[in-house]
Amino acid sequence: MEWFGDPDEVFSENKKSQSGVRPQACILCRKGASPSGKGGSNTGDLTERLMEELNCETVFTLPVLGGISESVVVTWIIMAVLVIASIILTRNLRVENPGKVQIALEAAIGWAQDFFEGIIGKENRKYVPYLITVILYLAAANTIAPLCGFKPPTKDLNVTAGLAIMSMFVIEFSGIRKNGLKHWVKHFAEPVPVVAPIMVLEIVIRPLSLCMRLFGNMLAGFVVLELLKCFVPLIIPIPVSFYFDIFDGLLQAYVFVFLTAIFMTEEME
Amino acid sequence: MEALIAIGAGVAVLTGIGAGVGIGIATGKATEAIARQPEAEGKIFKNLILGCALAEATAIYGFIIGLLIILLL
Repeated sequence: MEWFGDPDEVFSENKKSQSGVRPQACILCRKGASPSGKGGSNTGDLTERLMEELNCETVFTLPVLGGISESVVVTWIIMAVLVIASIILTRNLRVENPGKVQIALEAAIGWAQDFFEGIIGKENRKYVPYLITVILYLAAANTIAPLCGFKPPTKDLNVTAGLAIMSMFVIEFSGIRKNGLKHWVKHFAEPVPVVAPIMVLEIVIRPLSLCMRLFGNMLAGFVVLELLKCFVPLIIPIPVSFYFDIFDGLLQAYVFVFLTAIFMTEEME
Repeated sequence: MEALIAIGAGVAVLTGIGAGVGIGIATGKATEAIARQPEAEGKIFKNLILGCALAEATAIYGFIIGLLIILLL
């Protein structure tokens, strides 16, 4: 079975497996799939497959914007689902005699708001909706592989880099907004002026580390799962998938937003 | 040459040792702290997760370096 010959074919394949059953074909190990294969232990073969995995396939091409990759399409799907869900859930809100859904929703949002206000402080609560939005998107994106059968968009370095750049702007903006531009420029030479280059580098290092952490975790989980599926295609991958996709995915979503909030607090103090 | 590349990638994965030791120590200390002060569990857990994420980053960097060695050399 040729799993990634034609990008369109790959995507339609993913679509077909929406019911949660992922295709049985093993990506990293095509033993038996290609009659001319020299077995799975060749580094060259592994390199080729990993390279194909790292490239994001172009699903279709727009006239002006250029190629649209698979991760963008999956992101659109997540966006649509989240927007529709939020519209449906907030449609019939009542002050008196609220329904069960509204009570659950209020509890969840209240918990999230309290949690983030605990980190970044009550006076900076206007940043909380951004953080909740990012954590919702990341939680959906990281766990979409076992739930819907799509490839997780956070496995693509460009997606995590985009999120990290957004975090970078929010972190610096919050500092400038709170303490003024003058204080922001001055804080680079804060303890002693000698550390100024390191403090300037920190602007880039923080989002780089956020981006690499998320990308590396998701890709590591993906690669380990694919390698495991080569050797034991039955039953064993299920608990491992629970750990790598669901537990680790939710944990990384939490860590990403948590670290963004911590950096913002640091910048705002 | 291929064997050397494979050895290099394997050496890069040794960064996992540091992350493992770090997370182990952090978890051990957190358990001790919770045993001493069970009411502070929430705060301790939050800090533990933060420390684990930062310690784990080195292992992730090692993984990415290993991947780059395999892919680009």
